[in-house]
Amino acid sequence: MTQAPTMATRRAAAGRVARRTDRLSARRGGLVNLLYLPALILFAVFTLYPLVSGVGYSFTDWDGYSPTRALVGLDNYVRLFQDDTFRAVLLNTFVYGIGSTLVQQAFGLALALALNRPMRGRSGARAIIYLPVLVSPVIMGTMYYLLFQFNSGAFNDIVVFFGGERVAWLNQPAAAVGIIVAVNALQFVGISMIIYLAGLQSIPVTYLEAAMLDGAGSVKRFIHIIVPLLQPAFATSIVLNLIGGLKLFDVIKVMTNGGPGYSTHSVSSLIGVTYFESQSAGYASAMGIILFIIIAIFTLALNAALNRRRLEQQ
Amino acid sequence: MKSRSLIIVAGTTALVLALIGCSGTGGGTSPGSQKLEFQTGQAVDSTILTSLKSLTKKFEAENAGVSIDLRPSTSSYESDMKVRLGSGDVPDIWWTHGWSLLRYSKFLTPLQDEPWAKDFNPALAPAMKNSKGQFFAFPVDTDVAGIIYNKDVLDAAGVDPSTLTSWEAFTAAAGKIAANGVTPIVVSGKDNGPAGNLADWIASGAYTKPQLAALKDGTFADGPYTKVLDLIAQWKKSSFFNPDYVSATSQDMARALGTGKAAFIFSQNNTTSQALTFNPKAHLAYMPVPSLTDGTPYLIGGEMNAFGISKTTANLAVAKKYIAYLAQPANASKLAKAAGSIPGLTTVKPDLGELQGSYDSVVKPGRFPLVPYFDRVYLPNGMWNTMVTTADSVVSGGKPNVAQGVSTMSKDFGRLRTQNK
Repeated sequence: MTQAPTMATRRAAAGRVARRTDRLSARRGGLVNLLYLPALILFAVFTLYPLVSGVGYSFTDWDGYSPTRALVGLDNYVRLFQDDTFRAVLLNTFVYGIGSTLVQQAFGLALALALNRPMRGRSGARAIIYLPVLVSPVIMGTMYYLLFQFNSGAFNDIVVFFGGERVAWLNQPAAAVGIIVAVNALQFVGISMIIYLAGLQSIPVTYLEAAMLDGAGSVKRFIHIIVPLLQPAFATSIVLNLIGGLKLFDVIKVMTNGGPGYSTHSVSSLIGVTYFESQSAGYASAMGIILFIIIAIFTLALNAALNRRRLEQQ
Repeated sequence: MKSRSLIIVAGTTALVLALIGCSGTGGGTSPGSQKLEFQTGQAVDSTILTSLKSLTKKFEAENAGVSIDLRPSTSSYESDMKVRLGSGDVPDIWWTHGWSLLRYSKFLTPLQDEPWAKDFNPALAPAMKNSKGQFFAFPVDTDVAGIIYNKDVLDAAGVDPSTLTSWEAFTAAAGKIAANGVTPIVVSGKDNGPAGNLADWIASGAYTKPQLAALKDGTFADGPYTKVLDLIAQWKKSSFFNPDYVSATSQDMARALGTGKAAFIFSQNNTTSQALTFNPKAHLAYMPVPSLTDGTPYLIGGEMNAFGISKTTANLAVAKKYIAYLAQPANASKLAKAAGSIPGLTTVKPDLGELQGSYDSVVKPGRFPLVPYFDRVYLPNGMWNTMVTTADSVVSGGKPNVAQGVSTMSKDFGRLRTQNK
């Protein structure tokens, strides 16, 4: 005859099991943590170390290749704020960041709304719009450079075909900046479209049907139901596109190389020129740090604002 | 069992990453063998690299156990080299592209005591030798440049290049060429350099001797450089430049010159071989550059293709032997011919192809002084980009304008001189 376990025995057994489970979990946790190691090594070597050494270089007058460098304190940062070129290029960077983001949101949302409806060829259209995202920005920029070229560009061939004079599209700084914004926005509009499509598909159909029964038209449904419920999608899409636009480099490099003069440079492309061609690695590092701070401030502020708005609506 | 798998997976991944991180580019060598890395700076299909390959093959056959790894250039050769030098990953031999003295000498082995050094072309001394008489690279060729022109275009406009001895005459000739429907001066704004050449060519004759001495001592005179940019601005105002300036590449420049769509190019002579690929029948030549000061036209010369040996190489003896092999008259002749320029050693006879006529009439008689590249000798290391962008803005009619461009030059001159001390 087996004796029934007492309460104390049961507690003791449960304690043993719990301790054993904790030990196993801890052991497993420790082993699982080992799997983080490769990612941590990559992060440390390719992100953290360059960032920390970049901060260090920004306080020196290093030319980028000599074995010696001298500490110059905050000189590079002071120079940045007195540098007309940097101010102009910073303005371009905001135009690239904010301009591309606005264009991408408008077109991305419009395309998502259009392609969220049942229609023939919908999947194909989505794929075609997303396709440029998979292409390297260098290739995208080169393709558009060939389209906008003066002598053999397709756009000028069309102009000439209709009896016009060839146009130097990239010679005017403002036009060249606009073209670069458009090329960048067109390349990445697919990302916004996909994000908004996902957002639209997560909106319960019942909400829209109820609004229709209450007599809400398509504009009212869009403003009062779709837009509020797309807040998380807005936050994700805007932040992603803004960071991409503020870091814009490749398209500028292949389309205008920053010219005429410095007029189409972004801070990223100016950093490359300053570091390697002007041999001012210290100054270029200071630019990099300032760009990093600007992107961080923009991203955090935007995220906070969008999250606050979402919470208010909830 | 699961724990063991996790350890194996994590360990293997870390090991693979470590191996990737530690792997070098040089590869291993067997005992007794010597492998040298040579950053040639030459494009994969260039004639110089082809000649180097054939000569290196023979050198390796004569020197068992020696292997020379000839690396072709990338489009970012200068930046790549700066990264290599900055990180201490220095190749054994590399192409110094005009900068063996001012930029690379602190990394290179002096070569003035090598057996072939007695044949060093004295015309290269101002650009390649320091005050102690040391030089740091084997010169394949001597760069002698003027203003390249398409003779057929000039003939059609009734312009005789031998009369273009002043900028006034040159500007008047450009007007005639423009009236004939041809672009007088073609420049590339997309590639980083051609606009700078324009300023560099003119600036060499814009400063008086005392002003040049002052530049070397650290005083930048604004007046002469204002004249340089003013001249370019005057040409811009007269629409003498190609309308596709911003989007034009160096290849577009060569095409325009070769096909007779442009008359003049301010460039090194190797542009002519590229122009001839677009039109082998083109008649191309070069003329001396008019002066803004004393009226004497001049040619610009200096280091072009030269190869230096790292002072920290573990294979110094073999590297010197290899360079000595390249410097043998027959071999140096092949390399100079491939470069299409005047040889860098006096033992080699020039073979300049289409430009032989210009050499015989303009260079050989010695009537025109050979001055060094303005930026390399009189401006601090790192000024080239400032020169390019300030000239680029004037050619494209944007900002900075002439006054702002001169101010930028002056500021960067002071800053870079301090940095380079």
